[in-house]
Amino acid sequence: MSLCVGGRPARTAIMLTAIAALIMLTPMLWVVILSFKDNASLMADTRSAFLPPWTLANYWSIVGEGQVFTWLMNSVIVALAMTVGVLLLASLAGFGFARLEFPGRRFLFVIVLLGLAIPEQAVIIGRHQMFSAAEMHNTYAALVLPGLSMPFGVFLMTQYFRAIPREIDDAARLDGASRLRIFWKILLPLTLPAQATLGIFVFFHAWNDYWWPMISATDKDMLTLTVGVAATQMNFAQAEGLGFLMAQAVFAGLPTLLVYLAFQKYIVRAVAGAAGQ
Amino acid sequence: MRRMLALLPLALVSACGNPDARTELVIQRFFGACQAEYGAIADPGKAQGECGIITAMINEFEAGNPDIKVVENTVFWPGYDQLTAQLAANGPPDLVTMHSSAIPDYEARRLLEQLDEDLAAVGISPEQFTAAARAGVTVDGKVLGLPIDVWAPLWHVNMNLFREAGLAVDGKPVLPASPAEFRAHAAQFRQRTGKPYLIQITNKDFAAPTRIFYAWMLQQGVPLFRDARHANFDSPEGRRALEFMKALYQRGDSARNLDYAGAVSAFLKGEGGVMVDGTWMVGQFDAASGNERSPLFRGYAVRPFPFLFHARRVALVDGHNWVMPRNARRTRAERAAARRFLQYFAANDFQWARTGHFPAFRAVIDGAQWRQLPHRGDIAAITQIGEPLPKFVRRQSPIEFIVGEEVAAAYTGAKPVDRALADMQRRANGILQSY
Amino acid sequence: MPDVPAMRRSVTWNRWSGVLFVAPYCAFFVLMLLIPLGIGIRLSMTRGDLFGIEAFVGLDNFARLFADPVFLQAVWNTFCFVLITVPAMTVIGLALALVLNRTSRLAAILRAIFFASTVLSVTVVALIWRLMLIPEGGLAAVLARAIGEQPVAFLSEQALALPAVAVTTIWWGIGLPMVLFLAALQQIPRDLYEAAALDRASKTRMLFSITLPAIRRTIALVLVVEIILQFQLFGQPHLMTGGGPNNSTRPIVLFVYETGWKQWQLGYAAAAAQVLFALIALAAMAQYYLSSRKDAA
Repeated sequence: MSLCVGGRPARTAIMLTAIAALIMLTPMLWVVILSFKDNASLMADTRSAFLPPWTLANYWSIVGEGQVFTWLMNSVIVALAMTVGVLLLASLAGFGFARLEFPGRRFLFVIVLLGLAIPEQAVIIGRHQMFSAAEMHNTYAALVLPGLSMPFGVFLMTQYFRAIPREIDDAARLDGASRLRIFWKILLPLTLPAQATLGIFVFFHAWNDYWWPMISATDKDMLTLTVGVAATQMNFAQAEGLGFLMAQAVFAGLPTLLVYLAFQKYIVRAVAGAAGQ
Repeated sequence: MRRMLALLPLALVSACGNPDARTELVIQRFFGACQAEYGAIADPGKAQGECGIITAMINEFEAGNPDIKVVENTVFWPGYDQLTAQLAANGPPDLVTMHSSAIPDYEARRLLEQLDEDLAAVGISPEQFTAAARAGVTVDGKVLGLPIDVWAPLWHVNMNLFREAGLAVDGKPVLPASPAEFRAHAAQFRQRTGKPYLIQITNKDFAAPTRIFYAWMLQQGVPLFRDARHANFDSPEGRRALEFMKALYQRGDSARNLDYAGAVSAFLKGEGGVMVDGTWMVGQFDAASGNERSPLFRGYAVRPFPFLFHARRVALVDGHNWVMPRNARRTRAERAAARRFLQYFAANDFQWARTGHFPAFRAVIDGAQWRQLPHRGDIAAITQIGEPLPKFVRRQSPIEFIVGEEVAAAYTGAKPVDRALADMQRRANGILQSY
Repeated sequence: MPDVPAMRRSVTWNRWSGVLFVAPYCAFFVLMLLIPLGIGIRLSMTRGDLFGIEAFVGLDNFARLFADPVFLQAVWNTFCFVLITVPAMTVIGLALALVLNRTSRLAAILRAIFFASTVLSVTVVALIWRLMLIPEGGLAAVLARAIGEQPVAFLSEQALALPAVAVTTIWWGIGLPMVLFLAALQQIPRDLYEAAALDRASKTRMLFSITLPAIRRTIALVLVVEIILQFQLFGQPHLMTGGGPNNSTRPIVLFVYETGWKQWQLGYAAAAAQVLFALIALAAMAQYYLSSRKDAA
């Protein structure tokens, strides 16, 4: 249920939000329009974006980069594997921290929370050295495994498991359900909005990750889309090829947007319809 | 059945592995990727621009050397983060593009192969390089790469505005020969055109303001670095250079608030008289001068930096080179393939020089073919007086960035000139004394 | 007859079996986070580059950091940035979630719009906002001229550059807090609202007495997550301002990147990264402590 269902305040609020959305949208529309312009005319004057001719040439340049579909596949594999892995690990750990008692639980949880504060810059060299020692650079494992340690997922899932009323598991326990069963059959489905949120977050994080994939995957067959596409950028002589860059942005951003659209119905379920059922 | 099962892994291995017996040569470069436009072109003469020409050159090399399989990694400019990571992971490529100014850093850690013998084996002698190109790849007498060009910052001139300002004679730009003359020209330019004389980059891309500062310092006959551990920026010469440029900026004779892309765009739109930028822009500006809708139409000229101070005739240059990172796993066959690749690039230096960069080989500079390219005669002098930064100075690129940041802060008055000089000196020394 | 050893076993099992749920994650946590962190801490006490340690220098790097005006300015910049962005992200994200938590088609479209900018890579975000903010021909300048004002060079003014980077960041990142709040709103039991509606409670009252208390954990979560994310600011200033003008937009991570990867001072960079870790940990803990104290009260 929303803050203001029906009535004038609701309409005012949504109108204001719609106006804000238009302001949000302006730079994005600009990205899209620029992506259909040829680079030379943009360099002379970016305002020429609003005048024809428009062209698909920038998109052809991306697609014509023989490797781009390999990179796309790599990104899909890495992002999916990381998403599934984090969801699984974080759900298990979140349930454990929120619902079970075992020695050292609080201490472990505090340590994991502290882990949230570790910036990537503080660990990246160490990770790089470890994967070098294991000769594991340029593998999917090297691209996926570091992401699985993300404490954010555990933090999020613990919060959501805690928010579920205790009575639900108590009732199930009285029925003689095992912990695994309570977790899997009863509580997990209730965390669907959180799962979807975390899934989107992880997928998007994996997709846009630049720094680690750039130094770990250096074989051109192992590049992710974000890194591969960034490298196709021209040198200074072509003055950054503005339209080309924008086409790259649209091309690389579209898959994550689609994932969001696919997941958002789980984040906001049929509020009105579900009420009272 | 069992035999077939036993063969299966073998079949898989051969399917996944390298099916051809060709030697694999892994090269890594910046300059962008443009497979869509140039992927099928194997004639460099038909390509334009850095990306197009290098793509076509590599295609031509592959076509002419069917026994070598070229694996080409394109990296985001300048690609040193990747290279450093690869070296730390013991998996660097066979050949990498590297700026002359970065070579001392890698050489100090013994990360580059000495190439004297390799070059000699394919008939290349360092004697054939231009002096600047040779200085760029040589450290302690060791040749550590094949230079493919020398580049320099230049004065790109909008002749249409120069004519309007009365600063053109016989279609040639009249450039200042002293600080006083520079002031006068700039004032006259502003008066007659209403525009700033100079378009320079003062935002974000801080290497650019440094190049002007370095040029005025060197022209006063002092070194930029006293020794390997000490810069010389905080000196009377440095103060003079910076104060002069700051006054110019404060009088409104320099465009403001421009980053790299903004400055290029401002010059193309005819918003100022001179843009300071590298050799790589010559082709593009020349093309604009052939376009009747461009403010540069029939009005583009390019010159070396004018000499305002006359203690020394010198121009600061850098260059692009192929270098071979050390790799214990590199086979003899791979090294031989790399040698042939270098041989090809040496033989086709002219094609690369069509990008606007200076050729690395004297024979090309002396040849008529290069001189006939547009504008090359006007800037050829740099090949005589060009000099890279001394090889005993490491970390040149981050120091350039710091100096530029401080120079820009002094221009706008964010800090006084003395503070800016002291800060750039302290920060540069901090880096030079960190290893 | 009860089987006593079996029962004892089962008690022990019950006591410890919970560990099995958290063990898989903890394995990754140790391997991919704690051990690399340990390596980083060791590096912070050395002088050297990526190709090897040259000398152990104890705490010298830290002493040098706290005497380095560039680093101190970077710490200050980082704090300013966090103070601008985190409250803004939280409040705006919550407001959007409250308004857009409905099933109408329009709300779905608006949600997608507010999330869409999040999918862009930082390269593009930086580029597009640079284009928006440049005084010559940028969108902001066009607007300023339209209302008769002189265009402002946002990225060149010391006082304005960091706020401009902050606005860019809010535009880029507002989707995440919005989505987190939306998920939380979904968990509020509907009967609470129905009961309140029967009591004829006003909307404002419902917001303060039902909605906000119900999602307080998520508010804490968003604050902590945003503090952590914004402390790690890097790409936007790297690509929009290069840390300038006059060092006014250089955050700690940019400092770490420049010293470690560009200047090859790996030990010095590692020390700065540890300082950043300490600052984030302190800020996040303070936040968490405050909000859980409110919880208890």
